[in-house]
Amino acid sequence: MNKAILSILGRDRPGIVAAVARALFEQSCNIENVSQTMLQNEFAGIFIVSMPPGVTAGDLHRGLCERLAPLGLHVHTKPCEIAEYPCATAPCEPFVITTRGPDRKGLVADISEVIARHGVNITNLQAVFKGGDAPVDNIMIYEVDVPAAVDQQALARDLRARAEALRLEINIQHRNIFETLHRI
Amino acid sequence: MLTDREIISTLEMLKNENLDVRTVTLGVNLLDCAGAELNHVRRRIAERVMGLAGRLVPVCERIGQKYGIPVVNKRIAVSPIAVVGAALSPADLVEVARTLDAAAREVHVDFIGGFSALVEKGMARGDRSLIAAIPEALAATERVCASVNVASTRAGINIDAVLLLGQTIKRAAELTADRDGAACTKLCVFANIPEDIPFMAGAYLGIGEADAVINVGVSGPGVVKKAIDRALATRPGLDLGSLSELIKKTAYKVTRVGELIGREVAEQLGIPFGVVDLSLAPTPNVGDSVGEIFQSLGLLAIGVPGTTAALALLNDAVKKGGAFASSRVGGLSGAFIPVSEDLNISEAVRNGYLCLEKLEAITSVCSVGLDMVAIPGDTSAETISAIIADEMAIGVINSKTTATRLIPVPGKAAGDQAFFGGLMGHSAIIPVNNAGGDNPFIRRGGLIPAPIHSLKN
Repeated sequence: MNKAILSILGRDRPGIVAAVARALFEQSCNIENVSQTMLQNEFAGIFIVSMPPGVTAGDLHRGLCERLAPLGLHVHTKPCEIAEYPCATAPCEPFVITTRGPDRKGLVADISEVIARHGVNITNLQAVFKGGDAPVDNIMIYEVDVPAAVDQQALARDLRARAEALRLEINIQHRNIFETLHRI
Repeated sequence: MLTDREIISTLEMLKNENLDVRTVTLGVNLLDCAGAELNHVRRRIAERVMGLAGRLVPVCERIGQKYGIPVVNKRIAVSPIAVVGAALSPADLVEVARTLDAAAREVHVDFIGGFSALVEKGMARGDRSLIAAIPEALAATERVCASVNVASTRAGINIDAVLLLGQTIKRAAELTADRDGAACTKLCVFANIPEDIPFMAGAYLGIGEADAVINVGVSGPGVVKKAIDRALATRPGLDLGSLSELIKKTAYKVTRVGELIGREVAEQLGIPFGVVDLSLAPTPNVGDSVGEIFQSLGLLAIGVPGTTAALALLNDAVKKGGAFASSRVGGLSGAFIPVSEDLNISEAVRNGYLCLEKLEAITSVCSVGLDMVAIPGDTSAETISAIIADEMAIGVINSKTTATRLIPVPGKAAGDQAFFGGLMGHSAIIPVNNAGGDNPFIRRGGLIPAPIHSLKN
């Protein structure tokens, strides 16, 4: 399968998804997955598309830039190989790691370093730092897949130690607790 | 993908609203440990309890850690000892209580319930022996809890047993006079006792239950109170129907937590899962109080006019939320109002807002009864029996569970403070009408017949 993954960045406004989708359609590409989000006023979208035979990611990139650059959108494109994705086969347990505490530079780097060191994959990350010391103003929420082979106790211990050094309150909980509490 | 609101509200419930799993209680069937030879019975009981409960505490702690939800208490409930030890003497049964206490200590559980008898229709030899053994058994042990079911809607009220229990409570208080009668904090007298309560002191494993079962008690008065406070902060004009809906949804969430933890503990121990008992069970901590919910709903304090209606709303909403959240809801499931265990309720007694008569009235709409009520030390056994009979009548006529846990505090009078320590808390001693007086009515004994099951007015 001839696939590409592209990311689109730009100042948010109505019509971005429509413009990208139209440009892809005109190049005979089929959208397989889309995820879009907004951080403050910035739009970010990731698209996985299948391309017609003979079209390369480079061809697609040039075509998209031509259409989207005038709209102030930045495009990055690369060929997509599904086999690259980790944790696709290994059995994993989904956990949620949450931190709250005073803001400073390097919080994401420090916490994610511990997660990476244990071979744990982050599947979703939401973080808001409004600055200052109020814990509710500075929150990181990591959804992670912990492979069965990973020592959960050691991961928890290392995360707690790092959080303590950063003066962060940390919670490490199996994802089921949130689904159980809030969803029917 | 989870939303940040779902995650943050969960953390708030845990951190600031005292959401926890109050108890995971392992039911242990001891019926085949029965015998006429004391040492044989003791050995079988010790082997059975320690064999089944050895992994209970570590498994609960590991699962609590996995979900970030503390399992505060780990407990054991056994078959009624009056049946298991039917052939034994009262002195022997005190030894059985010591065995249960030692086994509980060995497996690190804080309470073991089931030093119990079911005598709603009549007392057998084993029942009499057990009731006779209760004062010393409770005074001599730290973790053993006793209960006696003296009434049921099907059988009526066994006033002979009620009279005996009045004397038993007085004796238990005297034996622990140096601790304000603390032995009585471990003795419940019931009407319509459920067979699967995970909460102490009323937990025992019913005769109709399996070899072993895991029952879970979930609490969360703080979660309910904060949910009400938050809703009223944004919409001060909310009516009672809307508040009931809010409590129902909150109860649903709390019950789901219990079910998740309970099922996983049961699976890991290889023991069937029984029920979730969703009860608003307070502790003597600020923010973990049922009494505070009344104030959030707009009452000056628990006990003032409006209290019965508020408790009826609360209890019903809790049951509805719990019933939707789990198909295995059981035990008491409702709101507890244990006076000394709830800082706010004991304050209401101290300030004169809550008297014994109002407390009795509100037990007609809550899930327990006169729970952890300290009364003057000179209250006669007969008067205690009469209070029990009144409370049993409420349960029997209304087809619900009621219970009493009364503590006549030796040497102390109404208005004095009684201190029981730890989870049992402290409370002002509540005045009792005609405390030391004569009561020929109750002295007549016999059985108050079961009520008519039609003509419900």
